[in-house]
Amino acid sequence: MNGRPAFFASALRVFDFSLGQMLWSRRSVFLALLVGAPVLLAVVVRIFAAAGWLPIVNGTQVGGPALFGVLMWLLFVRFVVPVLGVFYGTSLMADEVDDKTITYLFTRPVPRASVLLGKYLSYLACVVLLLLPSIVIIYFLVVPIGGSIGQGFPQLAADLGMVAVGVAAYGAVFAFVGAWLKRPLIVGLVFAFGWEQTVLLIPGYLKRLTVVYYLQALVPHAMPQESALSLLMTAFQDLPPVWVSLLCLAGIVMLALWLGGWAVENREYVLEQ
Amino acid sequence: MAAADIVISAEHVSKWYGQVIGLNDVILNVPRGITGLLGPNGAGKSTLMKLVTGQLKPSKGILKVLGEPIWQNAPIFSRIGFCPEQDAFYERMTGLEWVTALVSLNGLGEAASQEMAARAIETVGLSDVAGKRIGAYSKGMRQRIKLAQAIAHDPELLILDEPLSGMDPLVRRRIIRLIKDWGRAGKSILVSSHILHEIESMTPNIVLINQGRILAEGNVHQIRDLIDEHPHTVYVKADDTRELARRFLADDHVLSLKFEEGAVVVQTGRPDVFYARLTELAASSELGTIHEVTSPDDNLQAVFQYLVKS
Repeated sequence: MNGRPAFFASALRVFDFSLGQMLWSRRSVFLALLVGAPVLLAVVVRIFAAAGWLPIVNGTQVGGPALFGVLMWLLFVRFVVPVLGVFYGTSLMADEVDDKTITYLFTRPVPRASVLLGKYLSYLACVVLLLLPSIVIIYFLVVPIGGSIGQGFPQLAADLGMVAVGVAAYGAVFAFVGAWLKRPLIVGLVFAFGWEQTVLLIPGYLKRLTVVYYLQALVPHAMPQESALSLLMTAFQDLPPVWVSLLCLAGIVMLALWLGGWAVENREYVLEQ
Repeated sequence: MAAADIVISAEHVSKWYGQVIGLNDVILNVPRGITGLLGPNGAGKSTLMKLVTGQLKPSKGILKVLGEPIWQNAPIFSRIGFCPEQDAFYERMTGLEWVTALVSLNGLGEAASQEMAARAIETVGLSDVAGKRIGAYSKGMRQRIKLAQAIAHDPELLILDEPLSGMDPLVRRRIIRLIKDWGRAGKSILVSSHILHEIESMTPNIVLINQGRILAEGNVHQIRDLIDEHPHTVYVKADDTRELARRFLADDHVLSLKFEEGAVVVQTGRPDVFYARLTELAASSELGTIHEVTSPDDNLQAVFQYLVKS
């Protein structure tokens, strides 16, 4: 009757009941906006395409596959995935503290780190399950504009994998930040949109201390070379091989979760009276 | 007292929050059975409760629960049940889902967890609303569902932080009886309150805490006399407050009455007599439902001020 569940069994139990809480949390509105806005944008693009209003670069119209690639590069890799990581990752423990429900989890015979892992897994499931279908919808809306759906499928699969890996990596990093700091959101935003964006433009080794550096290596699309973005993109051409990126991202996930678990085990969570 | 008879021991335990002292050099041995922790708000009760449930780490001193250090000792929670003070829940879950989910963290399978959760919910008298969302529960129901999650895994030590807060008189009587039954069944219980009358109705063994220090511990009957000298304020939310007030006016022990929105605030010189009378009225249902009974802690504060001065 008074057994003690193993670490991963505990994490799975926390995952079990956290998933429903997460889907119905106040952040769901935010997630719906982030997931729905790109779909709306794709609908608008499709309407413009039907009316013959497509951007022209070097005298030729930009096709659907190239537009989809730009959306993946600039919207998802550089914005949606980090934003989701920051807002969900930093709140994994903070929401329980703010709602004062953390007491119920920390007065059970489960390692505190397993609570973080369970909540991280529920974040992963929740975000991936909502984000990937939205990308698939965008693909079906945008790629047929001058492109072939069938030919682009391998790239779509790679895109979905890349986004899932990005969600996992950013989520783990910000789960650690959330477990470690009292006011993690500001730090998370500064990291995602200050440090990552700035360092990426600086030549040298510093960019290896970002998540986006490795994530970009997984993007299967070539950037449009003659577009207004080409100058900006030249800064990103120094990319590691895919296998190195995958290895580094896996390392980032494991290290961040380990550090997050350590922080949760050792930190006192003082609830506001 | 033999070590085996002590369930909680604190040796020179202090806790600071930055510059603020929460607990100051507390030496305490809580014996088996029921022990009441009594003190006004801000006395250090909550800090002590958080320390003995491993949520906080002592800044100084040694704190042991069931013979083991509690900080960073997750396995020991299979032997402890905790009912926290805060009114916090996963509001969208039903009572049964919530208790089942928490019990399953004790390493039990889904079926066993659900069975134990259902039994605990029945014990606290919430079976009929077990399938309802906690968000739709009344304050008294929320208190009871918190108790259910604390007892569901059959722990040997129960730590209850203000468990009777907001309950109506009948449920209050039922829960007091339950706590006494658990005590008789060999469970150790540490129950905190800022209402002496509540604690007294469960146990004569009391620990008095104020300003982060333990003032006294043991069988404190003298406090009983002191409380009689200080008027005790009770806030009663009921369907028919006017009739309730009319009945109280006929009682000698009622010193004053005033109305607030949907409630009557009574000052009494004999809290035990008053609570007994209130329970009688609630049981008779003559005046409709009595929804909520609370007592501000200024009653006890006056007694404590008197104690500290004397």
